Amino acid sequence: MDLADAGVWAERLRFDRARAARNQPPELAAITATVEARSRDVGARALILSGSTARARRTRVSDLDYHVIGGRPEIGHPTEDIDLYCDDAETFMAKLRSGDDLVHWSVWYGCLLFDDGVVQSAATYVAGHDGWPDASRKVRQAQSALGFTEQIVDSGDRGAALEQVRGLLSLTARWLLLAHDVFPLSRDELSDQALDLGCVDLAAALHRSIHCEPEFDELATGVRLVKHLTSLSAARARRARLPSLMTTAD
Amino acid sequence: MSPKPKVQVAREHLTKAQDEAAGGDPRDALQWGFASLEAAIDAIAAARGIAIDEKHWKRTEAARSLHATGVLPKDLSNLHRSLNEARKAVFYDGEDPDLGAVSIEDVLSDVEDAVVAAEAEAT
Repeated sequence: MDLADAGVWAERLRFDRARAARNQPPELAAITATVEARSRDVGARALILSGSTARARRTRVSDLDYHVIGGRPEIGHPTEDIDLYCDDAETFMAKLRSGDDLVHWSVWYGCLLFDDGVVQSAATYVAGHDGWPDASRKVRQAQSALGFTEQIVDSGDRGAALEQVRGLLSLTARWLLLAHDVFPLSRDELSDQALDLGCVDLAAALHRSIHCEPEFDELATGVRLVKHLTSLSAARARRARLPSLMTTAD
Repeated sequence: MSPKPKVQVAREHLTKAQDEAAGGDPRDALQWGFASLEAAIDAIAAARGIAIDEKHWKRTEAARSLHATGVLPKDLSNLHRSLNEARKAVFYDGEDPDLGAVSIEDVLSDVEDAVVAAEAEAT
């Protein structure tokens, strides 16, 4: 498939807009329409609906994620938690070349809502250069987030602790998946992807952080798991278990 | 461990934020400051029957309405939203905090107003 071909790209735009419409209930579609209108107003070059909504895998903790290229729209007072990633075109391409997984995610899995050709150029570049996100960035981010997460779990603030641990487990899963040539999808899909990779403890901890209400002990175990895994090479971490989580059946 | 009352958590998080700011760590100062502001809003919202449901946007709206009703001395909704964006960039992307022209000390002064209001609400 020639991504530089105008007809091929127009078909992707049609397909993605239909996918975005299918994946959003009316209240989310209304927010997206506002974001699109404001993005066009500020002269943005492209808008991508990304994350769990693009993948039709929203959960109770999902944000509504967008990637705007070439502008920063003001979106007023939304009635959803919105993540608006804004890059100018040069930064977008620079991040792509440096292996930023969020940019790669937007290019390959996002629902493209409009594009003046900047995303098409990015997709053509990645296809032509066999581009792949830099896994080492994710492990560095996880290691950097460990200290604060550990402290917030100890602080007695359960809501904040759960959110931080969920984020930490997600960073760790993304690292291990990328390091083993698996592209990490949306957050709710990561636990199944991690399980397929053999990361049993990580998959279970991540799933429970999204769908259950783990207590402090379990959150602390999640932090210890990440500390253990990120102290190993990706190859070793894939097969590693946290000793305290292993049963006699193991 | 059991969850602590939000008003207590708000003060303890603020103290950590101030310590980190004084120690020259703007990343942790920002993250603790945001956590403190969220806990303070949660505490006041719970006392006044405002549903938060662990949603950041509802806290932003609560910060606006609590100022409109005179509970908070300032409208901290924009601060809440910008801190939320900044702390996500710190946590997920490892970026340095971008607070624009505002200093971390100014941010924490506003957060302290919310913590004081939460403590007043609790007494």
